[in-house]
Amino acid sequence: MHIIHGTWIPEDSNEFIQRGAFYLWVETDTPAGRSRSNSNNVHPRHLAQTALTTFLMEKLGLRELISGALAHTLCTKYFLLPTVAGKPSPSFELLRYMDEEEPIEFDLVPWQVWCYQVPDIITALNDIHFIALNAAEDFQLGADLLFWHQYSQAIKNIISKDQYIPALKYQAISTTSNKGKKAKQILNFEIHPAWELLSETYENNIQRYVATMPGACTAGLNSPHDSSGLFDKESLLRHFSECLLHEIVTGTPFTQKIDQQIADTLLYACVYPYRPILMRPSSEKKLEEYKQWLTWRTNLTKSHTEAGFTLCFRLEEASPSDINNWQLHFLVAAKHDPSLKLSLEEYWGLHPRDRVETARPFGKDFEKNLLLALGYAARIYPTIWNGMATDHPTGCILTMYEAFEFLKESAWVLSDAGYAVIVPAWWTPDGRRRTKVRLKTSVRSSKGATTLSQGHLSLNSIISYEYQLSVGGQVVSEEEWEQLVNAKTPLVQFRGQWMELDRDKMQQLLQFWQTHQHEKSEMTLLDMLKIGSEAEDDLEWDHDQSLRDMLSRLHDKNAFAPIKDPEALQGTLRDYQKRGVAWLQYLEKLGLNPCLADDMGLGKTLEVIACLLKEREEEDGLGPTLIIAPTSVLGNWRKEIERFAPELRTLVHQGSTRLKDKQKFMDACQAHDVILTSFALARLDEKLLQGLKWHRVVVDEAQNIKNPHAAQTRAILKLDAPLRVALTGTPVENRLRDLWSIFNFLNPGYLGKEAQFRKEFETPIYKSNDLARSTTLKKLVEPFILRRVKTDKRIIDDLPDKIEQKMYCTLTPEQASLYEAVVKDVEEQLNEAEGIQRKGLILSTILKLKQICNHPMQFLQDGSAFTSERSHKLERLGEMIEEVIESGESALIFTQFTEIGGALEKYLEHTKHYNTYYLHGGTNVKRRERMIVDFQDPETEPSLFILSLRAGGVGLNLTKANHVFHFDRWWNPSVEDQATDRAFRIGQRKNVFVHKFLAMGTMEERIDAMIEDKKRLSSLVVGTDESWLTELDNNTFKELIALRRSAVME
Amino acid sequence: MAQFSRTWWGQRFIAALEEFTDEARLGRGRSYASNGRIIEYTLSKGTVTAKVRGSINPYFGVYKEPIYKTSITIKAITSDDWAKVIRQIASRADLITKLLMNEMPDTIEEAFSGLSLHLLPHSERDFETSCSCPDWANPCKHIAGVYYLLASALDNDPFLMFELRGLSRDDLYTELTRSPLGKILASALDSDEEPLVEPVTSYYSRPIREQVTVEATHKEFWTGAKRLPSPIANVSQPSVPALLIKKQGDYPPFWHKDLSFISVMEELYERVRTKNKQMK
Repeated sequence: MHIIHGTWIPEDSNEFIQRGAFYLWVETDTPAGRSRSNSNNVHPRHLAQTALTTFLMEKLGLRELISGALAHTLCTKYFLLPTVAGKPSPSFELLRYMDEEEPIEFDLVPWQVWCYQVPDIITALNDIHFIALNAAEDFQLGADLLFWHQYSQAIKNIISKDQYIPALKYQAISTTSNKGKKAKQILNFEIHPAWELLSETYENNIQRYVATMPGACTAGLNSPHDSSGLFDKESLLRHFSECLLHEIVTGTPFTQKIDQQIADTLLYACVYPYRPILMRPSSEKKLEEYKQWLTWRTNLTKSHTEAGFTLCFRLEEASPSDINNWQLHFLVAAKHDPSLKLSLEEYWGLHPRDRVETARPFGKDFEKNLLLALGYAARIYPTIWNGMATDHPTGCILTMYEAFEFLKESAWVLSDAGYAVIVPAWWTPDGRRRTKVRLKTSVRSSKGATTLSQGHLSLNSIISYEYQLSVGGQVVSEEEWEQLVNAKTPLVQFRGQWMELDRDKMQQLLQFWQTHQHEKSEMTLLDMLKIGSEAEDDLEWDHDQSLRDMLSRLHDKNAFAPIKDPEALQGTLRDYQKRGVAWLQYLEKLGLNPCLADDMGLGKTLEVIACLLKEREEEDGLGPTLIIAPTSVLGNWRKEIERFAPELRTLVHQGSTRLKDKQKFMDACQAHDVILTSFALARLDEKLLQGLKWHRVVVDEAQNIKNPHAAQTRAILKLDAPLRVALTGTPVENRLRDLWSIFNFLNPGYLGKEAQFRKEFETPIYKSNDLARSTTLKKLVEPFILRRVKTDKRIIDDLPDKIEQKMYCTLTPEQASLYEAVVKDVEEQLNEAEGIQRKGLILSTILKLKQICNHPMQFLQDGSAFTSERSHKLERLGEMIEEVIESGESALIFTQFTEIGGALEKYLEHTKHYNTYYLHGGTNVKRRERMIVDFQDPETEPSLFILSLRAGGVGLNLTKANHVFHFDRWWNPSVEDQATDRAFRIGQRKNVFVHKFLAMGTMEERIDAMIEDKKRLSSLVVGTDESWLTELDNNTFKELIALRRSAVME
Repeated sequence: MAQFSRTWWGQRFIAALEEFTDEARLGRGRSYASNGRIIEYTLSKGTVTAKVRGSINPYFGVYKEPIYKTSITIKAITSDDWAKVIRQIASRADLITKLLMNEMPDTIEEAFSGLSLHLLPHSERDFETSCSCPDWANPCKHIAGVYYLLASALDNDPFLMFELRGLSRDDLYTELTRSPLGKILASALDSDEEPLVEPVTSYYSRPIREQVTVEATHKEFWTGAKRLPSPIANVSQPSVPALLIKKQGDYPPFWHKDLSFISVMEELYERVRTKNKQMK
């Protein structure tokens, strides 16, 4: 892994002009070769000259004009970095890839690193950020560089709003003259041309960003001997901003024309600070110019800061009978509380002695500042003067044309200039009446002949439409339209309300309508949704009742009437699950393939099962549904189907004994309702699975098909099924590439071709943060995605505060053979053992089996690899944790084995790279406190906390977590509950999800069943440990531990 | 060559003189004004007196560079009338506001016309001028030169016009304080002072190094104490360019060109926005 770091380093200089530069460096966990010596404090884990050159060219796409040129531009800098025992500790990001603990105490020591000096900082950082966002598997940006990327974008925004001015800097110089006998102090000065940021946003940004700036940003040094420390954040940020502004303005190519226009002025000196000036003006002249500039600048800032109010303008529309009487009212709003408004009409109406009191909330020198504010505003919008030929200005009258111009332009300008503007509701984006072409739609069946009688929409529905003209949602006849087009005024009263006319657009729409009005056209439902989301500005719809119903249902997913529990369901659905099933069925009926993206723990599996049962109530002879899921959840699928819908005939297509003959497979499929298989087999048995027509394909954990070019994805895309469902618990709409790929499976073509999607959505959204594009995309996909989060009000009501779920995982073949060997061994010994020896044997057997169920490595204790391939429990935990973190949530993971705790920490931190804490019996108090504080801190990213059941059982408050995982079981419910309560405590505002992992077909499953039974009968006294198991007779115990072979998965 | 005035009132002031003075003398007057030949001038009680360096001219028997005494008086308005005029001005927010912003209101004459008066001179009858030079014509080039200088002084100080019409600053102040709006202007005039020089010790804000102390945790050192604010959407073009500087009006005092400062800045800002490679 490579972490790209970088920061701004000012020059070491006490000169009046102190420049700086931006340097990148790369930290790595795999340094190439040992550094020769540590004598000069070379950072041991960074890319040195050659490696850095290669990295820059290969990963970041830098090019060099002359081969070898890049390497020569690199230089060495020093960074004050946290250092423990003579070594720099890895950065926070790299720590997750390394086998090291985060240090609690450390020194800051300068380390030498090779750096690349970044030209064109804003562009370069944005490019690197973009590359890292998309490509990177083996590199990412450090928080320090992310900070600078974001801050440089903020600065760019300020500069593009023209919020900076030419400036002069007055430098006092005191020189000592040696002429004459006595040394004399001479006070002199120099005036330097410069640029200055003058913006409230800038000042606010400084404060905001200083609070978030990582210390690493302040750690740059030019030489190691610099004994001084980190930079003060604010001064560093200002230095950076000012240097950047200077670089941008003076680095802009200007035209000869501008050069001439600014010749011999202050501006010329500011634009070209390095060009010699032929005629140097006298000191007095320079000082005079400086003072003139200073007065100007003071006035500029005064108009921002001095008044205690914001000036507001409110436009009141004219009545239809008096169309040139639009009133622009003047108001003030208090700066400290903008909701506190005072109209000048009211103010001047007061008795003079009451005015002082009334004006108090609006700051000192109210009347003077008021006049000045009006005057400054009038400089931008001179019409204001019309209202000021009085001693009590309250507003001014606008004609219709003036009002139109005001709405169209001046209002924006005034509000950009910092004044508040209130316009009539019909002018606001929501209230505006627009002229549009209207599509009148109705539903037809695909056969084309007749409209469906009941207005039922189905998979084959075709929508026919015709064009109409419309204004503000009302149909308008051609005559009326032409009348409007021919009106001579920009604002018209139309059916009792003012509206703006855009004559050019109306003319175009009219022509369009005239050519198309007699066409009867058709489109599919998908097309309609697509056009509707993309061309909102010029189109509006007049849907017939059935379509209108459909759209409103699609957009208000919560309004779905819950289905009745399927009769064959062994259990009951929660209310939101019933609505979820109704939604799934509805979309499938429309031929819109849905993506169910409910939060983890809300029961997507059960919703799908209910859906399968429900459709069988309605129709006979349905074909089989293929469910593709990660191997680790296949067991759980089977278990849930067995438990809730034993009636569904289920075939698990998995393992070496699976059907491979085409005909046999097809026959078997026809005899089942559900075929379960894994992603790996979806690819391996591609031909087999493509051999028949499925009723439906369900892809669980749909993020597995996020890569459209992977063989696995391509194989799944080729499956023949009209109905497709994707399930995922990650917020899929935030990852654009995944989103496209999932939609490509569900509704091919809906989001366009991949390249087109990148160009239209991904690049503008990621690279320029294009809000309009992301809104459009959101509208496009919204009808197809049902994502309910645990915190939804409606869901919360349906959920208990604590939701317990069991996660059944199958054994891998390796686990199964180990398990069987232990069982076989025990069975032989058990018959001979007595008393204490027997007890010991039973307990040690249980321990061994538990270890095997967790992971073979734990049982073998041979230091073999702790990989997810060897344990489905671990694999499943990894998948679920990913969803937790992706949803921005935190989790606790309990285990009773320290060796598993340690292995999990390594696995989650170093292989999966999550922010992970691990508390066990050996953790000292100080570290323990620090971990808890860190974990609970709202500023800490979503994190994981691994606890050993014994060390973490009591006394801790870890309410940031709303997921609790029990990786292995403690056969005493109260001990588990106590642990669970770390998260489920006072202060917990969220529902807590408890996931208990169980290995299927093993004693874990059976003991769990026993406990559940006993709990129901409330007759079993379960001790705090597992000794009660030793009371079982031999046969019962043998049965208990026997492995159900069918529960093993490969 | 530069104009002597870029404000409407300064130009109106000049126009009044140009109406009754011949072109040749005006031309020479302009070069007198711009070549520093007017050594000093003072204004007292509505009369401007100046010393002007003349030129050697054997034809007139002038063999050594002469210094001429020149004076210009503009017909004064009586103090009674001034009181009425100021009352008028102080009853109108627009006039007071513009004066507050150091601008002569373009509707200022409305406060005078009711009394059959006017502020800016517009004919020969408004002037009394004299010069010690041998030129028979009045106004001569020396008078014209002084006059041009007056016009450019008016640009930055519209209140000078009141003074030229016989209302001293003190009287102006007293009259203004008689009405509420006037008081505002009076207090602003009172506090009008030259800004103090703001010396800086560095061109860019000086980055300060702090002593090495480790207060932050390891995590804070690398990632910061708080999370980054969520990224802001990029702004496209501003709705109106150069809004910030527009509030201070055109032709700031340091800008000596005839071309509009605002329009030059607009172009400059636009180049930065569109032609700089980092801003794209």
